[in-house]
Amino acid sequence: MLVVDDDPAILRAVRTNLSRHGFQVETASTGQAAVEHAHQHPDLIVLDLGLPDIDGLDVIRDIREHSNMPIIVLSARDAEQQKVAALDLGADDYLTKPFGIDELLARVRVALRHAARPIGGTAAIFRSGDLAIDLEHRRVHVGDQEIRLTPTEYSLLTVLARNADRVMTDAMLLQQVWGPEYGEEDHYLHVYVARLRRKIEGDQQHPRRLITEPGVGYRLLGDEDDPRY
Amino acid sequence: MVPRARAGGKGTRSYALTVRGLIQRPVDGLPNAGARHAAALGAVALVSFAIGIIESRFRIANLSMLYLLAVLATASLYGRGPAITASIAAFLTFDWFFVEPLHTFTVADPQEWFALILFLTTATITGQLAAEQRQRAVESRAREREATLLYESAGLLAEGDLDDGLRSLAGRVRAELALAAVVIEIRDEAGATRIAASVGERDAIAAVAQPGARSVKVLGARGRGSAAWVRVVAPGRAAVRTGYADRVHLVPLGSLDRRLGALVVVRTGRGDLGLAEARLLAVVGAQLTSALERRRLRQLATEREVLQRADQLKTALLSAVSHDLRTPLASIIVSAGSLRQREVEWTVDERDQFARDIEQEARRLSRIVTNLLDLSRIEGGSLRPDRGWYDVGALVDDVVGRLRGAIAGHDVQVQVPEDLPPVLLDYVEIDQVLSNLVENAARHTPPTTAIHIAVELIGDEVRVSVADRGPGIAPAAISDLFVPFYRGPSRRGPAGTGLGLAVARGLVEAHGGRISVANRTNGGAVFTFTLPADPAAVERTPSVLS
Repeated sequence: MLVVDDDPAILRAVRTNLSRHGFQVETASTGQAAVEHAHQHPDLIVLDLGLPDIDGLDVIRDIREHSNMPIIVLSARDAEQQKVAALDLGADDYLTKPFGIDELLARVRVALRHAARPIGGTAAIFRSGDLAIDLEHRRVHVGDQEIRLTPTEYSLLTVLARNADRVMTDAMLLQQVWGPEYGEEDHYLHVYVARLRRKIEGDQQHPRRLITEPGVGYRLLGDEDDPRY
Repeated sequence: MVPRARAGGKGTRSYALTVRGLIQRPVDGLPNAGARHAAALGAVALVSFAIGIIESRFRIANLSMLYLLAVLATASLYGRGPAITASIAAFLTFDWFFVEPLHTFTVADPQEWFALILFLTTATITGQLAAEQRQRAVESRAREREATLLYESAGLLAEGDLDDGLRSLAGRVRAELALAAVVIEIRDEAGATRIAASVGERDAIAAVAQPGARSVKVLGARGRGSAAWVRVVAPGRAAVRTGYADRVHLVPLGSLDRRLGALVVVRTGRGDLGLAEARLLAVVGAQLTSALERRRLRQLATEREVLQRADQLKTALLSAVSHDLRTPLASIIVSAGSLRQREVEWTVDERDQFARDIEQEARRLSRIVTNLLDLSRIEGGSLRPDRGWYDVGALVDDVVGRLRGAIAGHDVQVQVPEDLPPVLLDYVEIDQVLSNLVENAARHTPPTTAIHIAVELIGDEVRVSVADRGPGIAPAAISDLFVPFYRGPSRRGPAGTGLGLAVARGLVEAHGGRISVANRTNGGAVFTFTLPADPAAVERTPSVLS
């Protein structure tokens, strides 16, 4: 995999860690080098958006022209717009600097798992704790209880489930659930997410399945492991 | 409208002539009505005498038409009333002296009757027309004066300094209306008034400009139409005492809800303010109001801009600080997290590397914090170097040793003469200066390039230079390089806080030295700072960072 950051200390620490977890790591400290390395098709790219030479967003655009490899972006806490832009351009996930090494490892695992799974080829039943979605028969259960969902709620839930553990930006969700002409109507989405939470979450104040990514979008956690840690 | 100027002085002169002409030509001619009517009768008498003389020599039909000249002259000089007087007087005089039977008002011939009535009608109508013409001329002259004054006051008030403009305008108004004094008062935001301009006779100014005299009372609106907002104001007690009662008029400036000041005029004579004068004052008042309003808005805009600048600086500081604190923090967190991991058995070297990274990045954080504190002390003016005699060579070694981590990979050469005398300096501060320069060089140049640190004694100063083989500095950026939060246009290499060089300059200047930067002939940049070697030359020089 390829790690791109302009700070040598970070690069060194991340490389050491990932190598010891069994990954073969290449590093680059400029966008130009990142683009060149990406042509060798690494399994995954960890990309810092604040690069000295070219904009990290341009790097994503360039990579997405020829590859679907997972991209995890690193960015500053105050750059929500940048994160959204990166995700909308096709980045798979993001981490806010400063981040913990456990967090990075978890995100890397999730991204690789998703890449291994063919798009749309989710298992017929999606599970997340006591939540079970039978995609074939369009049924949703929490524990033994069957949950009644409106078509829109169901559609929103399945889009999130198909992209389980990944951040979905508001714009992505609106377009996939409501249609390509939507994108600005955040309030629809927030209303439906709130309704959905009321039906599938035990504790409204502390959602454990449908997580808000502040300023960016939502993430539905799958069963396997929590990408936050 | 009088064209203001073809060119400077000449235009102004022709202007002054126009104005003087307006004042000297009496608009109303004779001041009182009786005199005007007497003048009308005089004109008729004069014409009658002329007719008498002509009649005695020649025989001319319809000689009565000569009276029309008298009526016309009267109408155009004195207006409608005297013209009617002249028409009737001419009718009666002609009947009395020249129509048979003479010396009676009876008329024998009915044809003569007809001629007389025709004459009276013609005279009256001609008189009316001429009087109207005259009225129009008077009005258009008044309008011309208004327009002229409006034009000129706009020009005066548009000049750079409004107070100068106000003084010139006060002078112009006084000359235009032949006033004893003109005073312009301005009321500030807090409600305090001040005299912005005062011209005229000293007594007259004193009568309205004294604080006691300003207790004026608005009596009510005066005038008709557009003059209605010129109000006559009773002067204060002082004005009464000095004999200026009834001569003071006040034009309030601003709107009802926001008073901006007042234009106060003192006339030379008593009596009502003429309609034309009232209108002129109203015009000037409106001009003053808009000029004062403009100035107020401009001040507000300036204040806003100052606040915005301060805000921008704060934003720049925050974003610089948050970015530059976060970068070392990120690697500290990753390294510390790695060490804490249980599932990996780190080798001694790996463990060492993480610990070194943590230490190095923590030091970097510490330098950033020190720079920030120094900058605030420099900008706050509270920097007081704590000087002692130190060996600059040892200081250089110290800095290079401590920055080993940051400059790793670079080929660092140090050149210090053996016989360098000790220098009076604040060790901590000069250490910070050199550290900033060396770290800066390491950060902005490719790894493995050389960094050359040299100390020389030249004349009565010690010169310390840090030279690199990096990309050099864009000529356009050189002047801004020492400004706080400035970051070079070159995006090569990680961005710094933009603090290091600003702090270096502040500290060096506090030592009475100078700092400068130049590009080297074979590529790269060289930063040089000086310190006075002669203790007598050590003086605290106030820094000028902001």
